[in-house]
Amino acid sequence: MKNGKKVFGFGSALLALTLAMTGCTGGGGSSTVSGEAKGGEGSTAEAAGNAYVLGEQPLEFSFYGHYDWYTMPNWGEDKASEWIKANKKVNVVPISSGGNAKQKLSTMIVSGELPDVIWTERGADVESLRKAGALVPFDDYLDKYPNLKKWAGQETIDMLRSEDGKLYQFPNWYTTQPNGNAGYLVNKKIYNDLGAPSLETTDELYDYLVQVKAKYPDVVPLEVGQSAGGVDIMTSAFAENRPYQYSSLSMKAIPSGDALTSVFTDEVFRETLVYANRLYREKLISQDAFTQPLEQVEQKIITGKAAVYVASSPTEFGAIGNSILSEEDPEAGYIMVWPVHKEGLDKNKIFPGTYNQLGWNVSVITKSAKDPEAVFAFLDWLTGPEGQRISMWGPEGLYWDGVDEEEAPKFTDAFTSDTKGRDELMNSTVNLQWVGNTVYVDNSKMKFESTLPEDKKSWETKWQSEITWKTQYDTTEFVNLNPAGDTNEGIIEQSVGEIYEKAKAQAILNAGSEEEVLAILDQAEKDAQQVGYAQLLEYKTQKWKENLEKLGR
Amino acid sequence: MQNTTHRVTIEKSKVKPSLFKRFGRQWDLQLMVLPPLLFIFVFSYIPMYGVLMAFQDYSLFEGFAGSPWVGFKHFEMFFGAPEFWTVIRNTVVISLLKLLIGFPAPIILALLLNEVRNRVFKKVVQTISYLPHFLSWVIVSGFVMSMLSTENGSVNMLLQNLNLIKEPINFLSLPEYFWTILVTTGVWKEIGFASIVYLAAIAGVDPHMHEAAAMDGAGKLRQIFSITLPAILPVIIVFLILAIGNLLSAGFEDILLLGSNPVLRDVGDVLDTYVYRTGIQNNRYSYATAAGLFKSLLGVLLLVGANYAARKSGNSLW
Repeated sequence: MKNGKKVFGFGSALLALTLAMTGCTGGGGSSTVSGEAKGGEGSTAEAAGNAYVLGEQPLEFSFYGHYDWYTMPNWGEDKASEWIKANKKVNVVPISSGGNAKQKLSTMIVSGELPDVIWTERGADVESLRKAGALVPFDDYLDKYPNLKKWAGQETIDMLRSEDGKLYQFPNWYTTQPNGNAGYLVNKKIYNDLGAPSLETTDELYDYLVQVKAKYPDVVPLEVGQSAGGVDIMTSAFAENRPYQYSSLSMKAIPSGDALTSVFTDEVFRETLVYANRLYREKLISQDAFTQPLEQVEQKIITGKAAVYVASSPTEFGAIGNSILSEEDPEAGYIMVWPVHKEGLDKNKIFPGTYNQLGWNVSVITKSAKDPEAVFAFLDWLTGPEGQRISMWGPEGLYWDGVDEEEAPKFTDAFTSDTKGRDELMNSTVNLQWVGNTVYVDNSKMKFESTLPEDKKSWETKWQSEITWKTQYDTTEFVNLNPAGDTNEGIIEQSVGEIYEKAKAQAILNAGSEEEVLAILDQAEKDAQQVGYAQLLEYKTQKWKENLEKLGR
Repeated sequence: MQNTTHRVTIEKSKVKPSLFKRFGRQWDLQLMVLPPLLFIFVFSYIPMYGVLMAFQDYSLFEGFAGSPWVGFKHFEMFFGAPEFWTVIRNTVVISLLKLLIGFPAPIILALLLNEVRNRVFKKVVQTISYLPHFLSWVIVSGFVMSMLSTENGSVNMLLQNLNLIKEPINFLSLPEYFWTILVTTGVWKEIGFASIVYLAAIAGVDPHMHEAAAMDGAGKLRQIFSITLPAILPVIIVFLILAIGNLLSAGFEDILLLGSNPVLRDVGDVLDTYVYRTGIQNNRYSYATAAGLFKSLLGVLLLVGANYAARKSGNSLW
């Protein structure tokens, strides 16, 4: 028995030892990735003269969405991809992240089995793949296939170029005109019950919230969403031409003159937190803002248990809430109000939301792809008018029939009468929008909406055209400021990020007075400087200047 | 059983047969040991070469062969990190709290259950108390968060209705409550399952001893302290040594889920969560490995130390 115990004890010690490491052991495979350029060059050279024609030959490639939450719908099971599969002979094989994208990608890199296309955020991950020589540049294809060049524009393409001057990233929802939904949603019923007071300034908003709290004890006066994201948005109220992004976790750098400066000493950020702390102490904002799951926020909005909701995309829940609430009571529902501002500022210079020309994320083609040019040709077709029409609103003849002189689809009656079927179709393809063309889609939608009578207009489009699209700020010059995680600046970025998160939460939740809020931020500044914030800001300033140069501003 | 007979015969004859012969005699037993040994070798020993990563600037693309060696760079960075002492303090404090409260709790439950005479009641309690063990932390933390919520959370409603508090307390946003919540939740989740072992040990105690003690006039409490506890002491000590070896594993999922609020990081950040956040999430694999290796080495030292102390009582692991 003694022996058995020994083995058991020793084994468990070793088990403990190895458990800590198993997560980090790679397969030890050397740079197989870069070595696997399977005949890519051959086919490119062959096709150099004549472009690849989609639909002549069957094309199949694998697609990996680098997000925990992302599961690609099976190709061909919805009306749009079914049509593409039948008519363009394209089949896309999904590779799932299994809810753990980081680990999945690491495993694929180490084992040298990269998918043909990776759909991911711009930035560090893409750069490390490029540096390892795993990506295919698009430069040779750009002139042969017209859509990306035409719709994204030279400026956006230049901004997407990597350090070596080549283009590796195919943008998604790129744009040249403002878009976005950030802003303030107001519960119509409560608002009218309280006499529809003016909600223009931060003081008026405060008074309104106090009234709500007194009269509706079971309603959250101001819902700020998950992780108090709404408080970020509200920084826009305290200065003109100031997008919230400056003091957000991802940027943490305030343009001041020709340099980026600390967020903790920024007057606007400090004033916002003082304001938010006051609201929190007086129980005017959601008390579990930092712990509530997203579903809880959604519930509050769609059941009308919030009087004001500020978020980067309040229209999402707002649209659902509005249709549910107004069905029961035509007087209920949601409206949006013009962004709130601090007394004395020009309300036309308040921008609660941001957009940038590069859009949301990108697709990259890896050297695993047998025929990268064919894959590019498909993505280029998909981002063009025909691909967008079909992937957004299904094949021709269903909800649209023919196009006008600007290639915008002519929507049929079914588009407005069969809203259920239309929404079902659009929801089934939403996760297949990899190379969305914002300008084309938005303009097509708006053109059609403008022909509709007032009561037929969609709730979302109404507020987009009246308020949100007018109050989004162009932040293209601030893209890609973040360093890679394993570099010196990346380590600082992470430390400062933690200091920032903690300070913000403490300032809102635990500070008992204005002085305490400011003291927390002063301390955060000190801590941040200690871990090298100045060096990080220098790096970001450098990147910003490079961007300005590319943009010619 | 066969094993002991062998041993007896060996001792009697006083002649030690060769290793090969002894092995041949117990081939059937050795065969049964083989798969677990193989398992440990394949899944615990072979991956161990991964610790080399701690001394490299490991790159996913270059692999082991191509990544440069950097000596103790990552260890120095880890020891020099501004969060280092906070993380160590939290790890030790949370572990000790869990050990101090979480370790005796199942023993007490087992002793209590042992005294219950109504069989049905005993079975019901046992079943209900070990069920939470099978719930994942995601679910448990969901329970806890909704119970402690300020908006319609049952704990706050109870306290308010009892007039103990006026305004709801935002439990998961106040650092001073975090350790209590964490330890209580942990005990609730694991107490029933952990008590099964002790119940089994208690069941093995010879009832004659209890009868004899009762004859001598020992009451229930006297019997527990003088008979039951000494009888199950070896089991307790073995589990205590293992628990001490795991002292630096203060928890991971529970802290990650319950302590998601950044306000709690000062009290909730432990070695494992720190490694996960700074290392794995930022692709700093070498750094994560270095911190993990440090933790494992300390764990081995603690285990050996605890075993050494226990040897004096004659109940050590080896």
